[in-house]
Amino acid sequence: MNPNHQNRHGCSGVSRRSFLADTGMGFTGLALGAMMFRDGIARADDSAWRPPTGKPHFTPKAKSVIWIFLCGGVSHLESFDVKPELNKYAGKSISETPYKDVLGTEGKDVIGANPVHGNRKVIMPLQAGYKAYGDSGLVVGDWFKNVGECADDLAVVRSLWTIHNDHGAQLTWQTGRHPRELEHPTIGSWVTYGLGTLNENLPEYVVLGVPTGDCCGGAFTHGAAYLGPEHGGVRLNVDAKKPLPFIKPPDGVSQEEQAANLSLLGKLNHLSGIDYPDDQNLRARIKSYELAFQMQMSIPETLQLEKESEATRKLYGIDKPECKAFGEQCLAARRLIERGVRFVQLFHGGGGGGDWDAHSEIKSNHTKLAAQVDQPIAGLLKDLKQRGMLQDTLVVFGTEFGRSPGAEGTGRDHHPQAFCAWMAGAGVKGGTTYGATDEIGFHSAVNRRYVTDIHATVLHLLGLDSHKLEVPGRKRLDMDHGEKIHEILT
Amino acid sequence: MTTEPRQANAVVARLVLAVLWAIGATTLVATPANKAALEKHYDQFLAKSLARCTTCHLPSENKNPESLEDFPHNPFGARLRAVGEQLVSDGKKKDIPARLQSIAREDSDHDGVDNETELLLGHNPGDAKDTPSKKELTEAKGKRGEFQKFLASYRWQPFEPVVRPKVPLLAKATAIRKSGDSSAAFPIRNPIDAFIAAEHQARGLKTRPDASKEILLRRVYLDLIGLSPTPEELAAFERDASPEAYEKVVDRLLADPRHGERWARHWMDVWRYSDWAGWSGGNQIRDSQPHIWKWRDWIVESLNADKGYDRMLAEMLAADELAPQDTNALRATGFLVRNYKMLSREQWLEDTVKHTSQAFLGVTMGCAKCHDHMFDPISQAEYFQMRAVFEPHWVRIDPVPGDTNLMNAGLARAYDTATNSPTYFLHRGDERKPDTNRVMEPGMPKSLGGAFAVQPVSLPWQASRPDHREFVYHDALAAADSVVEQAKKTLTTATNQTIAIERQLLLDIAQSQRDALAAVIETERLDDTGRKNSEPWKIAATNAVFQQRLSSLAVAKLKHHQSKTAEAEARTKADPASATIAAVTNAVAQVSTNKAAPADATKQAREKTTAALAEAQKKTGEAAKLLADAEATVKSPADVAFKPRGTQSYPTTSTGRRLALARWLGSTNNPLTARVAANQIWLRHFGQALVPSPNDFGRNGKPPSHPKLLDWLAAEFMARGWSTRELHRLIVTSTTYRMASTPDAANAQLDPDNTFLWRMNSRRMEAEVVRDNMLYVGGSLDLSMGGPDIDHTLGLKSKRRSIYLRQAAEKEVEFLKIFDGPAVTECYIRRPTVVPQQALAMANSELTTGEAKALAKRLTSDSGEDPAAFARSAFARILARRPSAEEMSHCREFLEARTASSTSIRAREALVTVLFNHNDFVTIR
Repeated sequence: MNPNHQNRHGCSGVSRRSFLADTGMGFTGLALGAMMFRDGIARADDSAWRPPTGKPHFTPKAKSVIWIFLCGGVSHLESFDVKPELNKYAGKSISETPYKDVLGTEGKDVIGANPVHGNRKVIMPLQAGYKAYGDSGLVVGDWFKNVGECADDLAVVRSLWTIHNDHGAQLTWQTGRHPRELEHPTIGSWVTYGLGTLNENLPEYVVLGVPTGDCCGGAFTHGAAYLGPEHGGVRLNVDAKKPLPFIKPPDGVSQEEQAANLSLLGKLNHLSGIDYPDDQNLRARIKSYELAFQMQMSIPETLQLEKESEATRKLYGIDKPECKAFGEQCLAARRLIERGVRFVQLFHGGGGGGDWDAHSEIKSNHTKLAAQVDQPIAGLLKDLKQRGMLQDTLVVFGTEFGRSPGAEGTGRDHHPQAFCAWMAGAGVKGGTTYGATDEIGFHSAVNRRYVTDIHATVLHLLGLDSHKLEVPGRKRLDMDHGEKIHEILT
Repeated sequence: MTTEPRQANAVVARLVLAVLWAIGATTLVATPANKAALEKHYDQFLAKSLARCTTCHLPSENKNPESLEDFPHNPFGARLRAVGEQLVSDGKKKDIPARLQSIAREDSDHDGVDNETELLLGHNPGDAKDTPSKKELTEAKGKRGEFQKFLASYRWQPFEPVVRPKVPLLAKATAIRKSGDSSAAFPIRNPIDAFIAAEHQARGLKTRPDASKEILLRRVYLDLIGLSPTPEELAAFERDASPEAYEKVVDRLLADPRHGERWARHWMDVWRYSDWAGWSGGNQIRDSQPHIWKWRDWIVESLNADKGYDRMLAEMLAADELAPQDTNALRATGFLVRNYKMLSREQWLEDTVKHTSQAFLGVTMGCAKCHDHMFDPISQAEYFQMRAVFEPHWVRIDPVPGDTNLMNAGLARAYDTATNSPTYFLHRGDERKPDTNRVMEPGMPKSLGGAFAVQPVSLPWQASRPDHREFVYHDALAAADSVVEQAKKTLTTATNQTIAIERQLLLDIAQSQRDALAAVIETERLDDTGRKNSEPWKIAATNAVFQQRLSSLAVAKLKHHQSKTAEAEARTKADPASATIAAVTNAVAQVSTNKAAPADATKQAREKTTAALAEAQKKTGEAAKLLADAEATVKSPADVAFKPRGTQSYPTTSTGRRLALARWLGSTNNPLTARVAANQIWLRHFGQALVPSPNDFGRNGKPPSHPKLLDWLAAEFMARGWSTRELHRLIVTSTTYRMASTPDAANAQLDPDNTFLWRMNSRRMEAEVVRDNMLYVGGSLDLSMGGPDIDHTLGLKSKRRSIYLRQAAEKEVEFLKIFDGPAVTECYIRRPTVVPQQALAMANSELTTGEAKALAKRLTSDSGEDPAAFARSAFARILARRPSAEEMSHCREFLEARTASSTSIRAREALVTVLFNHNDFVTIR
């Protein structure tokens, strides 16, 4: 959407539908039955726009999403789109190879290019080995051996491209928009806006790990823009002691005392509500206090990873120092999904341009970082599968762009012309690959797909039609909606 | 789409063209704004089949039509166009309604039925084959009559100059009676009430009575000053039985400096206030500029001084042209400075055009960057004419008295650069595709009328050479003086001869540099007064050269001294008998296993020290030569070629484009400026705007609930000298404003959204008001005004009003964000949400805990041991009202139970905490 297509909806957005449902007023003593007579009134204008009902538009395959994002730009060439031709032409200039034509269109679709990046001509050989896995024979680089073992569950999209050649593309991955257009709703916010919550004790949309740095999208990468802050991601630290702002009751106030405070508050709010029986905000506020009170307990409980068995913790690699942090995040993600959180966004290597940004020493950089995530991600897939959760949970693995086939010293440069991502779980045809880059992985060549085509696929699996989610005054373009990748669906 | 480049603007342009082509393939293309105007003129009388391009156009003969020109007009369209051309040649505006009216009775397609009748009956007036049947014609008269009635009704024409509508005369046979009768259910206290009551009558709405004194006082306090009334203020108001008790309160609040702070925050939303954003302690300023808080202070001061809104916007857009020497007024250009964007001048200018038009005109010019506006009569060319107004401007930081470091202190302001780069028409709004043959001159959309006259402005030297102002000289000399003073002080603490000599030389340098600076400034002063190259100037310049030579000599002396000292040290080390060498030799011997090591190590060490000595000697030689040169130079006759001071100079003229824009906007002929401002003000008093889309008064915005009232308010606003204070007074003293916010089932049936204001709206406080009141009620609010932005991480520690806390991209106060604080990029309207994070912040934050403790203690010392008295005073202080008997009994029960399980003071703190969390605390009824 062009930012010029105007905001007539103000700084935040629509109110939290789920709170307005006429259910669960958990206080005793005073019935709210007399309240909300307005609910029974037919509105004059039935054609008026209404926020989504929370019901899918058609039968969904997936219920919830774990959205893994690796910050800085993971090499597609040595992960899920391995290119042996690079070994053959190593050290040669691209212009000396049969693929010299690729240079002519470098940067064609890059907007607001940072001139520092690109124009890497001397081919660098693969920095990792590779192997075919599973019945599908999916070729995966050795940095991702553990994920490789799950090959038959993965659908790899090898023909992605993005619009910007710097790390602002991290924001693009979440919103589909060029970073200079700033804040737009993220995929996570669309999902929760469309479907609401599955558990009123927990937020709908949770963010784990260190998100993208301020340079490159910052809080916008997990925001909701005009959909309103209630649909933005709630950042949790995987630390049961301080998972989110203001979660801890003041020192010296016991749970019983807080409950008693809340009870008095409920009584007083109900009393003043007698004069204002149609006040939806009052109702929503009463409800929000109940959820907040629940969250004080439910969130720390959810994050008590020590309650998991030793075997499970090992599966995620939590026993290994290099895997511990991300392993805990992956395990926390499973526990959150299990308890009804709709969308978990998992960041790895966030802050600044991102850890995966291997302009030099890509071999040691990617070896080290992959060791942090490979087993935890594989563990997550295996754990979800063994619990039967993979049937209705969608796991998405992505990064902002690929890395250049040409060498930048001992590293690889940013490469927006081509990169890859994969999906696994609910409704996804495992063991498939879709689209292709050229022989040296320079351009997305066959069935090119833009970032929002991944978004469209996710929404489709959740039973949502993004056109039906549009907010009046917030016209979205085809580029925002994207097109689902039909070929990777069951 | 997937294989196309996705540059957003280009995509929009393509989309638009795709839409046009898609229509073209089957039917026709029309100027979207003309089509919109046709639809608007006929409103519900236009059949859907006629709300099409085909009403005026024929299909294209070109298979791949490229522009509107490929779609010829049908006879009706041709006639409509001809009338337009006639109007233009007569010097009139060629608006569609006038043209439609003038050809209503003509029969363009010669099928025997006039154009208007055909349109009303759903037949194409430009197609002779499409004619109404006889039966249809029998209904024609009735339809024409209804349509005439509709045309005669009040039409909302936001793009036409404001004409003051007549205040409705109300029928006496209703519950609504004339003013002066305070027993009336809805006394007409001022004309606002007449407009509102007329709608109530027309729609059968029963108006709500005045709110209770308690509720009204809290409402107007929070609305006008952002702080709730104290129990004493409430008591005084309740005691005052005079008929003008309320008006007295309003007068007092409007004169309160806290009123400026409260309403400044509203205007900061509209005008997109932002502190600077970026990294590295100011080394990389990405958005806005440092010191922009001065613009915030200017807003507060201007509102408190009741500066006219027309003057305010003129200062914001063009203070550098309007009052180039007025550093107070220059702060206002923060409005422009705020759009600064390090990474993209394109985005910077785009934001400037877009938000200037939305804030002041309520027009979405931004759409027209890539294509003619789809809904409003604004062409793409006019977009670039508006952009040309801003093309020459840039931002800079001028020095301010008292500090010579521009990062510490300065005035961030706008100015026109000398390099007035041309504004090119960008093909489809794409910055990569400028049409260098189309240089756009500054101008305003024709549809908005008015005179736009650009006069270049000559600037005084103070503006073009800001570093030559007296205070800059003074501060520079004062800074040099303080270096001298510091050097003197340091000299007195020298501990040995060598250090003393060095410090004396440093002092000599400081003194000579100060003298040289004074001499240079002397020449600049003469230059400033037009006496460059005069005899006194030559003397001063010669002196400056001499002083600078002395200064160089002093530096050369220091260097020579330092190199001699270094040489002496090197000589000591190189002495074979020196302890240093022995020590090195021993050390090496200890760590080495090689027997030959000691001898080798000694040799190596000796070679090293010898080389160091040679190097030091060489340096001393060089320093001695420089010193000799400096001495010789001082002795040689001085010329006038002194080294000037590092200063900034700027153009001596400004294009005057922004001043022309400001005058065009501030003219009473401008149709939108006053309407948009009055609507923004109304929105913030009622939580509901008269035009619900305050930044879009165009066709794509929402129509007003009370068009007549808004026009009347706009006329009144201008008639009262654009005084926002007078508009506030008018609004808050109306009966409309004083109504209760309690519901009414019958009214809710008729008007569930309260569009016609049969009651006051209940609203949640804005984020800043929540925080400020927590501090205020708790007794900790620091009411000092103005000054630099306070670090956002101190949001809960600082006791200042929230308006003074830093607000920029990624630099926001978490507590305020949770309560839907203003989005930095754009915030024409706030939409409060209700989320659990707010509950957590209110229940658990250190702010609540701290204020609850302080307040419980204070109230206990005021009200004594009686729990009931405590509860009553807590209600009065926190919620500005009395508790009901039932509320009292719950509170007493709670206090008793908690006192039993804990202590009395803890129980009271808990009660205060609960009341802070009460819905009534954050709600304005």
